[in-house]
Amino acid sequence: MATKKTTTQRRPGPDGLGASGAADGRAIIAFHHVDLEYDDQMALSDVTFSVANGEFVCLTGPSGAGKSSILRLVAMDAFPTKGQVIVRGMPATRMNRGRVPELRREIGFVFQDFRLLEDRSVEENVAFAQLVVGVPHLQILQNVMRVLTQVGLYDKRHRLPRQLSGGEQQRVAIARAMVNSPKILLADEPTGNLDPVTAQEIIDLLFRVNDSGTCVLFSTHDHEIVKTFGQRVLVVDGGKLLSDERRRVPIDRSASLVDHMYRAPAEAAGAVQRPARKEPVHA
Amino acid sequence: MLNKAQVTYLARESLAGFSRRKLTTGVTILIMASALMVLAVLTLVTLNLGTLLETARGGLDLRVYLRDDLPSERLAELRPRLLTLPGVQQVTWIDSEAALVEFRQQLGDDEPLLDLLDRNPLPSSYHVTFTTEARNPDSVRSVRDEVSRWDEVSEILFNQEWVDALERWTFRFQMASLVAGLMVFLAAIFVISNTVKLTIASSARIIQIQKLVGATNAFIRTPFLCEGAVQGLLAGILAMSLLAIAGRILGHSLGGLVFFSPAQLMGFVLFCVTLGLAGSWAAMRKYLTLRSDI
Repeated sequence: MATKKTTTQRRPGPDGLGASGAADGRAIIAFHHVDLEYDDQMALSDVTFSVANGEFVCLTGPSGAGKSSILRLVAMDAFPTKGQVIVRGMPATRMNRGRVPELRREIGFVFQDFRLLEDRSVEENVAFAQLVVGVPHLQILQNVMRVLTQVGLYDKRHRLPRQLSGGEQQRVAIARAMVNSPKILLADEPTGNLDPVTAQEIIDLLFRVNDSGTCVLFSTHDHEIVKTFGQRVLVVDGGKLLSDERRRVPIDRSASLVDHMYRAPAEAAGAVQRPARKEPVHA
Repeated sequence: MLNKAQVTYLARESLAGFSRRKLTTGVTILIMASALMVLAVLTLVTLNLGTLLETARGGLDLRVYLRDDLPSERLAELRPRLLTLPGVQQVTWIDSEAALVEFRQQLGDDEPLLDLLDRNPLPSSYHVTFTTEARNPDSVRSVRDEVSRWDEVSEILFNQEWVDALERWTFRFQMASLVAGLMVFLAAIFVISNTVKLTIASSARIIQIQKLVGATNAFIRTPFLCEGAVQGLLAGILAMSLLAIAGRILGHSLGGLVFFSPAQLMGFVLFCVTLGLAGSWAAMRKYLTLRSDI
């Protein structure tokens, strides 16, 4: 999956928004002074940030901070009360609601509770995402085989979700999210139900997805996971964006989550070095 | 435009609902069939009352009795005058002797009583019948009012009251049927819609996932609409079959009973299919406007 370069030449404004409020050429997601209210309750207040094509962003904060609201706005499952959200050049406030499915086909979703169809096999769960968007049968078979091989579950393609471990179920969910070759992957607490070792596997898999050019927005409230990130971290609390930390120099990811949580720091530091991740281009 | 894989999937999903939810589907079909039968019975009664009313209107006529002391020339003049009145189709002369013969026949075993009379008490009369368009109480009443002013006429008989009563009751029944039919229709939509909502709630996860991966509302809705339509079709066939059997049994004991034509039966089945579609649509409409709970 190659990163799609836009040819639009706009003078970038603050936070990836052009002078007219349109998205920056490289920004795939842009929030511009966004407020969001649910039933008179403020979920987000004056949130502004943008995410570049192919970037990996960690969204963190305590439960109820507004992380899911941000993901919901990106998926256009909610629309801003004030301000503007632009996803792949589509402005939420001016968007025809009938075009939301079209946008969703370019977004993959991964959740804490996997959200798989329990009465269908691994293969059918993944194929389902292709079927509803009208991919021809033969192509579905090829694509399903490809992504299941990538997540290491091709041999278990005929199993039902309940016959898999939590980590394997999450890999099925990632395969389903990736089968339509989305430009954006939204991962809402994808490691919340997993043990540290499996969580690390899932994070590694998400990094591989990112390496293929997909922009990943990863939400977690787990500080230990955030510590392992050598990427950009957005911190939200009380509906406000508290910080936008761009870790230009990647932290040593050789110390995995398991190392952080279960091993002494000195021991963790002595672990085998992993290659440093390449930095994405920021808006 | 759907591809072959999608059509296969939608067809399979539409039918899979029946095996997944046998009880709910069965109950829905029974409710729809019952509602349709109530509507069909109301329609049948209205149809039969209408036919009865038409028959009664066919019998709307006037018997114009004449004074005894009139010369035959004046009696003969009356016939063309009656024929010129609006709506009058035929005027038949019944002299007093013919009226007596008719009366004797009507008396049957009591006929010897007439021998006690020293003279024929029955006057001569004209029997006036009307054209189809004029066979209504208003037209007949206006002719009666006109004729009653003529000197030659002693009395006019008009079987108005029972026709009026029949017309009144038919109108009332038609209004009551309309209201009852409307209520049954709305109740059926409500029940079907709620049953479909239960069905949809049990499919919440699959709908949510469909929305997540970018399925259009039309794609999500299609299997449920198909399921509703098939339920309506089955309910319609069930109701009409039961009604046809009942009609055949009653037809033997009640001669002249009006029943639905095959085209009308088909119309009722189609109506039931529409009912199923409307119920599913109403249930889905609300559901699809909800957030996908990302």
